[in-house]
Amino acid sequence: MKFRTFLSAAAVLALTGAAAPAADRDAADTAVEAAKKYAGTTISIVWEAGLQSLDPLNYSGPQWEKLTGIKVKVVEVPTDQMFTKIMQDFKSGAGAYDALNVIPSWMPDLARAGALEPLDKYVDKFGYRDELQDIAAAYRDNQMQYDGKIYGFPDDGDVMLLYYRKDIFEDPKMKDEFKAKFGYELAPPKDWKQFDEIGQFITDKMAPKVYGAGFFRTAPYPQYMFQERFRMEGGKFFNADTMKATVNGDVGLKVFKQMVAENKFMPPGVEQWNFVDNLAAFLQGTTAMTISWPPYGRWAAGYGSGEEALKWVPKSQVAGKVGYALTPLGRPELGVGFDLSVSATSKNKEAAYLFIQWLNSKKTSLARVQLPYTLRDPFRLSHYASEKYRALWPDAAAYLDTIKTSGEKGLLDLSLLQQDKYDEAMTKAISSLWAGEDPKAILDRMAQQFDAITEKVGIDNQKAVYKVWAAKPGAYPQ
Amino acid sequence: MTLSESINAAEQRRPSRFGRMFEDRLPYLIVAPAILILLLVGLFPLIYSLIVSFQRITMTENDTSFVGLLNYAELFRDTRLWASLGHTAIITAIALPLELLIGFLMAQLFIDRMPGRQIFVALLVLPTVISPIVAGATWRLMFDVRFGPIGQILSFFAGEPVRILWTVNPSYVYPAIIICEVWQWSPFMFLLLLAALSNVDQSQLEAAEIDGASYLRVLRAIVLPAIAPVIAVACLIRGLDLVRIFDIIWALTEGGPGSMTETISLYTYVQGFSQFETSYTAAISFLVIALLTVITTLVLKRMELAR
Repeated sequence: MKFRTFLSAAAVLALTGAAAPAADRDAADTAVEAAKKYAGTTISIVWEAGLQSLDPLNYSGPQWEKLTGIKVKVVEVPTDQMFTKIMQDFKSGAGAYDALNVIPSWMPDLARAGALEPLDKYVDKFGYRDELQDIAAAYRDNQMQYDGKIYGFPDDGDVMLLYYRKDIFEDPKMKDEFKAKFGYELAPPKDWKQFDEIGQFITDKMAPKVYGAGFFRTAPYPQYMFQERFRMEGGKFFNADTMKATVNGDVGLKVFKQMVAENKFMPPGVEQWNFVDNLAAFLQGTTAMTISWPPYGRWAAGYGSGEEALKWVPKSQVAGKVGYALTPLGRPELGVGFDLSVSATSKNKEAAYLFIQWLNSKKTSLARVQLPYTLRDPFRLSHYASEKYRALWPDAAAYLDTIKTSGEKGLLDLSLLQQDKYDEAMTKAISSLWAGEDPKAILDRMAQQFDAITEKVGIDNQKAVYKVWAAKPGAYPQ
Repeated sequence: MTLSESINAAEQRRPSRFGRMFEDRLPYLIVAPAILILLLVGLFPLIYSLIVSFQRITMTENDTSFVGLLNYAELFRDTRLWASLGHTAIITAIALPLELLIGFLMAQLFIDRMPGRQIFVALLVLPTVISPIVAGATWRLMFDVRFGPIGQILSFFAGEPVRILWTVNPSYVYPAIIICEVWQWSPFMFLLLLAALSNVDQSQLEAAEIDGASYLRVLRAIVLPAIAPVIAVACLIRGLDLVRIFDIIWALTEGGPGSMTETISLYTYVQGFSQFETSYTAAISFLVIALLTVITTLVLKRMELAR
């Protein structure tokens, strides 16, 4: 062996040997080790009030303190006040919050305002880039960056799923009668026409004991459903050249008319249903189909039914009878979601970053998405593949597979500057729809409101943001 | 001591010029801290809001430049604002007379001594001590189409299921709000009017009775003029409260369906805390202050209470 070769081999050996412990150390361990120098400090994190915040209060917060000596102060804020609180803290420069939970559609506003700390330098410093690749593409590619910079780690795999009663759909008598009437198999609906036919059929056969379907109809939930259906039927929110709203065309009208018509085969009073009303009806077996976020599936299976925090969830009467499917037309809405971010005004930015890296890491997040009492949904490829998770209840594997596929095909929430205003216009429009107002008049008013908002924000500003959003693969069905 | 010595001694005891100045101004000095605090917590925000209303402050933009009267000009183009003022006027115009009438009838009922009167009065007043948001949430449950007792009672009398979407159907949302509002605040009118009726001159009532005056005549000629100032004050207080109505509507309809029951307070809240239009919200507030000042002054003049 030549001396140079020997030296090279020795160098490689030395490097690989030295790197071995580092390679073994995952992003969670790296964060813990680096954070130990901040032992004794306290960091605050804004978290959605209610079940969501039981994660940092009962699980991750105490564990982080045990591992690093850093205390975590959880600031619980109702969802509709989170944006305001974050902006108020930023505008006042108080620096009361170190880490944040941010709804991805807020990111353009918060990033432009300067309220969020860019995270790229920390990601590189603490070697987190590899583990970010494990986050499902729908969230990683669409909900992590603004203007080419990382402002948050996607931390909640929110996506709409169709839940249906397998026992009804597989009932031989129902199947035969349905096929005889409609000429196709009784199965999870592929489109909204099928959904309406199946829903009406089940209601005709089984109501008032069981209705064909039930949805949440009160604000803000149905606007996510509208966004999905409108785009899947071929609708575009704006003319990309002029930024004039185009929600009031034939597609919008078709979707609005369908949505109103569907109430007729749903339980009486469905127009007043919120998240819990709809959950209760499905878990009690009153509705055969519903569309909602992933926690419905876990609770319907009875997962976490013994938990003190879940006592308000009605005991599932349908455990073992629930099937999971993509929503009709196959591109479900990635409704809402949460990113973990660092506040630009934080006085403990690095400690806050290390906390969110640890929370979001493969190892910690896998445990967190299995907490029965919180609402964090699987969002990493490793979550979907987790053998432990797939064995949590008999149909858990099918549940995870459906979430994975739904995430891959998911449609993004509209995300523009001052998105809240567009959301409010949609929410108000849909509540007028339930009140029986003419759908065309409602849509025309909504389009006018969209135009007024766009004009106020600045047409060119908004056009640029819309262009970036619309170019994302999850913005419009290709 | 001679007289001149006494005068000299008295002059020596008299405070100096500075002392007199201090004595003269002492009352002002004593109240000065309180006034200063009042100015700080009351006037300063008002002036600051006025300044903000001439700026371009929103929660999401960093531009805070002065825009003159632009926000005030925007008020006149904002149809949703005027609609919300219209909704406020409708609720006030219906709820206020109803509360007054029911309060007056209840007071008439309880003016005479009767067994258990105090307990009944205490029970009747209970709704007024409940937080309006709780009252709204309670009535929302009462109106619930599946579990609400109101639907069940109506179904019982109708002999078939009655399913009224009180908080969704445009024909029922205003009745729902007004029922809740009247339920909560009629007892307030009742209390004030009961106190007023108790102070009506008994000798006049007895004289009228001896003269054979009818109940309506007594009411019109003696009772109402005697309690008119209290009625005026009660109407003013409740009227102003109704213009500010927020909690009950928020709990029942959140201003919906659409913006159909959105009052000026709800609209201001939405602009300020949901849409983050800080300067525009300040301009709305000053519009409301101006409107209320004009209306209150007119009402007070009309009722000759301004004197």
